[in-house]
Amino acid sequence: MARKRKLGGYAGQHLHVDMTKGLCKPVPLEKEFAVKYIGGQGFASRILYDQVGPQTNPLSPDNILIWATGPFTGTLWPQASRYVVGAKSPLTGIFGEAHSAGHWGPELKFGGFDTIIVTGRAKNPAYLLIDNGKAKLIDAKDLWGRNTNETEEIIKETHRDPNLRVSCIGQAGENLVRFAAIINDYDRAAARSGIGAVAGSKRLKAVAVRGSQDIPVAKPDKYLKVIEKLHQKMLDSPFTASRAKYGTTNLVELMQEIGRLPSYNMRSGVFAEYQKISGEAIREHYLVKPRADYACLQRCGRYTLVKAGPYAYCGGSPEYESQSALGSRCGNENLESILYGHHLSNLYGMDTISTGATISWAMEAWDEGLITAEDTGGLDLSWGNHETIVKLIHMIAHREGFGDILAEGSFRAAQKIGRGTEKFVMHSKKQEIAGQEPRAQKSMGLASATAARGADHLYAFPVLDEIGFDEEIGIRYGEKYLPEIGDRLDPKYKGIMVKENEDFCAVVESLGVCKYGTVIPPVLFYEDIVTTYEVTVGISLTEAEFRLAGERIVNLNRAFNIREGIRRKDDSLPRRLTHTPAPEGPSKGQVVELDQMLDEYYEQRGWNVKDGLPTNHTMRRVKLEDVVEDLAKHGIVLPN
Amino acid sequence: MRRFLYADPTVCVGCRICEAVCSFHWEKTLNPKKARIRVRRVDPGLDVVVACRNCEHPWCVEACPEEALQKNKQGIVVVKSKKCRGCGACVEACPFGAIFLHPETQKSIKCVACGFCTTYCPVNTLRITTEEELAALKQQKVIQHECGNLLEELRVEREEKGGEE
Repeated sequence: MARKRKLGGYAGQHLHVDMTKGLCKPVPLEKEFAVKYIGGQGFASRILYDQVGPQTNPLSPDNILIWATGPFTGTLWPQASRYVVGAKSPLTGIFGEAHSAGHWGPELKFGGFDTIIVTGRAKNPAYLLIDNGKAKLIDAKDLWGRNTNETEEIIKETHRDPNLRVSCIGQAGENLVRFAAIINDYDRAAARSGIGAVAGSKRLKAVAVRGSQDIPVAKPDKYLKVIEKLHQKMLDSPFTASRAKYGTTNLVELMQEIGRLPSYNMRSGVFAEYQKISGEAIREHYLVKPRADYACLQRCGRYTLVKAGPYAYCGGSPEYESQSALGSRCGNENLESILYGHHLSNLYGMDTISTGATISWAMEAWDEGLITAEDTGGLDLSWGNHETIVKLIHMIAHREGFGDILAEGSFRAAQKIGRGTEKFVMHSKKQEIAGQEPRAQKSMGLASATAARGADHLYAFPVLDEIGFDEEIGIRYGEKYLPEIGDRLDPKYKGIMVKENEDFCAVVESLGVCKYGTVIPPVLFYEDIVTTYEVTVGISLTEAEFRLAGERIVNLNRAFNIREGIRRKDDSLPRRLTHTPAPEGPSKGQVVELDQMLDEYYEQRGWNVKDGLPTNHTMRRVKLEDVVEDLAKHGIVLPN
Repeated sequence: MRRFLYADPTVCVGCRICEAVCSFHWEKTLNPKKARIRVRRVDPGLDVVVACRNCEHPWCVEACPEEALQKNKQGIVVVKSKKCRGCGACVEACPFGAIFLHPETQKSIKCVACGFCTTYCPVNTLRITTEEELAALKQQKVIQHECGNLLEELRVEREEKGGEE
């Protein structure tokens, strides 16, 4: 029998790792699976759905942890550096995922694997070494208790290879902080959903990888022509120059301008001292140099340096999310403490969004007199107390004192403390809302409420309605929806925007590429994916097929959550955002009209408007018939 | 005169597009270990392109017991693959780590300054250059830097004097 021709783009193998037995086993990637779920997020979603059910405790050995790349990871598509880590989330108790860039994801493919699927729990801490198609678990006794930078360096020294790529957890993951991250290449974070705690619960300290295997290209004679065009389009975009200059740091200024910069635990969407924590301030005083991840033309990464004082460090720069979470959100105008707090969070391996949001929840409760020095062990949680913020980062990572309560995330911490602090938790499905004050941009409110991993700006990433993209909005969603769809304060048609974006983002994250270049700036779209997929993978899929694949992945994630009991009532936002008018700034007087937008969204999705269940018809249309059957086994009958 | 590939480590952002393009140019596949150029990140802050310098008196040529490495008329060190036995003596000899063994054939591979990668550099720092040109560029940079300050000083001085034309 003739050997099956290998698919282009993929490494062609999964790696199964059983931590309990200490075994590693390569398993071939099936072509049908690859085409149906694309890669990255799609792979993680399907594997999670099949292997993790409602009975699974996220921090038990039964949970699984998946690292997954896509067919474009490590290729020459602009910004082709991405990978996803999936698991049932210890923060939300539902579908969990986090994404990162850097150079680790491409290296996993050069090392011979598309995905790593980790099950069980090791008796003693271990790290996984993948060396050109071979894999083994190695004792990590000497690494346990180390931060992420030390871990990466020790592994590189141990194997005498500075070019090893390392993805690892710090103390926060070991101590099962519910918003612990996985960090690769020193400071690139797969931050959200608490996936670092899942790695910690499995006693898996790190995954180090190297290899010299090809990512095959199916149609080499056409490949570079296609790629050249994409590169040119990226470089021609005026956004590229701005990204190179500021990364995402100057979003502080832009968000202040539209009233979308969360301050004081989202009491407001403007911050009087925004200039002190702005992108311009970073560029002027602390920027060393921009930096790119693999095959990235946007280079939004950068190095920053604080020369002296208590917050001295040199390393990765914070992005907008960290500036807002540790800055304006906590009423903190001390930029050096933000830079350092971000650095510390990377060292400990913690999500800066949830870290800042949880601290800002506590600060508001303090401000309201509901939390006192008795709770905090004497710490003063006044707004903007940067010394406290930095101290709390240490305490959360080590679960010391009041930090032990905050390490549970703001939702659980408020449950524990009670006294009315619950209403200050800015979350959806127990995950903290990121740096988008949704009263100033309604689509972001809807996106946070519908995202599968709990509050999230990236699952749909609706950004074109921020300002000035009407032409592109017309192309992507249809001119007939203008001007309402382009008006960030108008709830109308935002259900359409969020639905379309969720589908597109699922495709993008499954291919293993960045939302920069695809979603914003809106340069590369479905037609570019179709062309590039054909010359890379060697299979011709239509735009309609990609759109359907995106819908399939979103519906699969929804099914995972439905099985966990999630319904329309959970697609919610805090009352402050839906009922209390924004007190000041450009969006003064606004609330999020969530119910209206949800109705439209469910209709667009083909989900039941009453309870948010996908209909039978929708699930069959996206070819998830087997999922319908599985849900029935769990006593969930989908409406027709 | 030596011709070689160069990128300014303070400008290079370490995207490694050149590695991928190089492997594709020579091997029709995407594999940085088959590239003739390597980008090394020295954290934090420097991204260094490593490629053959085509030395005036190349260590690798002297070290090769098979005479597989030769300098051609253009001053470029080239590998005669048929003669190469993959002993790695050139890798040991090169002080810059700029010559590699192909991961499959185990024969030497190195940059021959073809320049194919340079057009893909998103920050336009990758170039084929010579010492003379490189020195001239650096001189220009220094002069621009210093004179830029001078002009600024002049401008301020004028403004202080009362803003005459």
